[in-house]
Amino acid sequence: MTPLLSVKDLTVRFGATVAVDDVSFDLERGAALGIVGESGSGKSVTCRAVMRLLPPSAQISGSASFEGRDLLQMPETELNRVRGKRIAMIFQNPSSHLDPLMRIGDQVAQTLHKHTDLKGRAIRDEVLRLLDVVRIPDSERWAQAFPHQLSGGMKQRAMIAGALACQPDLLLADEPTTALDATVQKSVLDLLAQLRREQNLTMIFVSHDLGAVARVCDDLLVMRWSRLVESGPVSRVIDAPRHDYTRKLLASHPDRLKPRAFAPVGQGAPLVEARGIQIRYGSRMLSDWIAGREGGFMAVKQVDFAVRQGETLGIVGESGSGKSTLARSLVGLVKPYRGAIFFDGQPADPAGPGRIAYLREMQLIYQHPSEALSPRMTVQAAIAEPLRRHRLCPRDAVQGRVAELMSQVDLDPDLITRFPGQLSGGQCQRVAIARALAFDPRVLIADEVTSALDVTLQAQVIDLLLRLQKERGLTMIFISHDLAVIRRLCSSVIVMREGRIVEAGPTAKVFDTPAEAYTRALIDAIPHLKGDVA
Amino acid sequence: MKLSPMFVTGVALVVLWCVIALVAPKLATHDPYAIDFAAILQPPGAEHWFGTDNVGRDTYSRVIFGARLALYIGLLGVIAPMLIGMTVGLVAGYFGGWIDVVAMRLVDITVPFPFFVLVLSIVAVLGPGIENYFIALALVGWVGYARLARAEALVLRRAEFVLAARTMGFSSGYILLRHVLPNSLSSIVVYLMTDVTLVILFGAALGFLGMGVSPPAAEWGVMIAEGQTYISSAWWISFFPGLAMVLIGVGFALIGDGLARMLRIER
Repeated sequence: MTPLLSVKDLTVRFGATVAVDDVSFDLERGAALGIVGESGSGKSVTCRAVMRLLPPSAQISGSASFEGRDLLQMPETELNRVRGKRIAMIFQNPSSHLDPLMRIGDQVAQTLHKHTDLKGRAIRDEVLRLLDVVRIPDSERWAQAFPHQLSGGMKQRAMIAGALACQPDLLLADEPTTALDATVQKSVLDLLAQLRREQNLTMIFVSHDLGAVARVCDDLLVMRWSRLVESGPVSRVIDAPRHDYTRKLLASHPDRLKPRAFAPVGQGAPLVEARGIQIRYGSRMLSDWIAGREGGFMAVKQVDFAVRQGETLGIVGESGSGKSTLARSLVGLVKPYRGAIFFDGQPADPAGPGRIAYLREMQLIYQHPSEALSPRMTVQAAIAEPLRRHRLCPRDAVQGRVAELMSQVDLDPDLITRFPGQLSGGQCQRVAIARALAFDPRVLIADEVTSALDVTLQAQVIDLLLRLQKERGLTMIFISHDLAVIRRLCSSVIVMREGRIVEAGPTAKVFDTPAEAYTRALIDAIPHLKGDVA
Repeated sequence: MKLSPMFVTGVALVVLWCVIALVAPKLATHDPYAIDFAAILQPPGAEHWFGTDNVGRDTYSRVIFGARLALYIGLLGVIAPMLIGMTVGLVAGYFGGWIDVVAMRLVDITVPFPFFVLVLSIVAVLGPGIENYFIALALVGWVGYARLARAEALVLRRAEFVLAARTMGFSSGYILLRHVLPNSLSSIVVYLMTDVTLVILFGAALGFLGMGVSPPAAEWGVMIAEGQTYISSAWWISFFPGLAMVLIGVGFALIGDGLARMLRIER
């Protein structure tokens, strides 16, 4: 049998840079192929080249024959009959690929209008059937909704429904779950796996997440630096990787990292304590006052926690759970509406007059490594800034201290004159950590510091944080939506949902015997390398 | 960063004008103020390249000397509005609250009136002269900079590096100066270039209306006004200063557009 899609010697160049270098693979009908790689490895470009979605500046060579016809040579008119009808694609960010002014039902109906002879009522029925297929409940109602009324997961489902509208032979999925929360991600992956079985769908699934790919696909391509480094059945690649890079990728997966044994933390007084924290956005309007409501939006409803010296507290929760807001209140970026923060037994006011002394002890590291540094400041200037500004060391010692901090976070000294735009994400994160360490703080708060990084970088940054903690006896508060990371790093954990603490306790206990259904759902959603093995 | 051809052309034009202004006495063939009744209304020729006006002054020399005035007006006229506008805009955008409300209402009061009408009426009240033109510009021209700077500050105050600076315990003034200002400068510089063009053109327009530089100064607007009665018989008196104005305006406009394009690509 000839393969449904056969890609041969595909090479894509943008000017002098080679984005995809000589990639070949075959895809049988009914198979699911995963393409894994880190950002910039060329996995998305490969996918888009097949659909001919690349900008005109891309020079493409090689061939991609779909049922014997080369997609790369096909005239535009013929290609448009294939796109959408025979090959459909879903993208990473559902909100930017849905028209905000068009009802969900109409968006799904679009391809039906274009590629089928269905009319009027038949289209409507088909749309509702499709929404049922992707398990959007109450499809009649949601078909009338606009994209902004849907959650991220629902949007992704609606996009899948649109892609399935003409019963395509091939579905290209480009990081379809990356922008979603863990539990939603799992449900979308389950849906894709199920659709494969039910509709005998052929699929290419592009992702940086090996665990996600393992859940859906049978075969795997691993890409690095625009090249294919390894290919084979998923189980074989995971159990017996042949290429060094695949091995490294697997070793970086949270599943493969050794859980840490935590030294028992003394029963001393807590170093950081939050009591009854409530945080409100927006203010109380006159109408709220009349109606007797609190007004505004309560991002954090009631949170208490305590962290002891040398301990690492994990805060987990999905987006909108209030975990980042909570972190920001600890460093004075938002003022709690009620409640108090205690540092070293003393009441602390992170936004008040004594804040400089307080902030020297408590530093926050931000999520987006490249955005946390001013684009117009060199590495040297960024790290030296707190040293100079707060006179943390004598003026003539600044230079030496910067070099010392850079070596502590394993930054190449040659990078000192670079601007953030000339650094990689991992390097930027190291600069941000070095800058926080300049204060010699006792507490480090890490707000989703790994979520914008590739897996291998993630593992490196986590190792760095662990080492620093050990060396300096740092107390850490680690905020993440990634439970696998939390499990590795934290001695105790609190689980947040909608501004409240759902569950709290020592990490091992919470993970092994979760008391709450929500915690269990979060733990189940961790993508593992092997389908069911925990 | 790749230089855009627009930018290079613009810079070349502006540099050319600056050189002309600097070495004007060397380039001029005649004294720009020397009246010569033996040679009135001469068409362009070997002796007078751009012809002469109704009292026999050499148009070419006057255009060359006019560059000095044009650049002086253009470059000096934008300084005060830029400084005022940038300060107000950045402070309003960064702090928000009542400062923002007050500043933006001031802007709202100014915006509905056509810019030139407002400048003209202020100059009319204060009396003719470049100094009063500068005062009028400072009173009215800051509005554009303020809106632009405010928009930048609104975005930047939520940027993680600004938050990081706050959590490092830096003062607001310091953050504004070291983090917000440098990162909002690019769009302000682009606007500055278009503003220079505008200020030169309006300066000339004031001269034309007799409310700017007063005759017999070699100012392009004044020259156009002097030539308008002879426009059918001696077109060159008004034509060459007009052409000079276009060329200097295009120069600054190209720099502005080119910069905008280059900075956009860089992001």
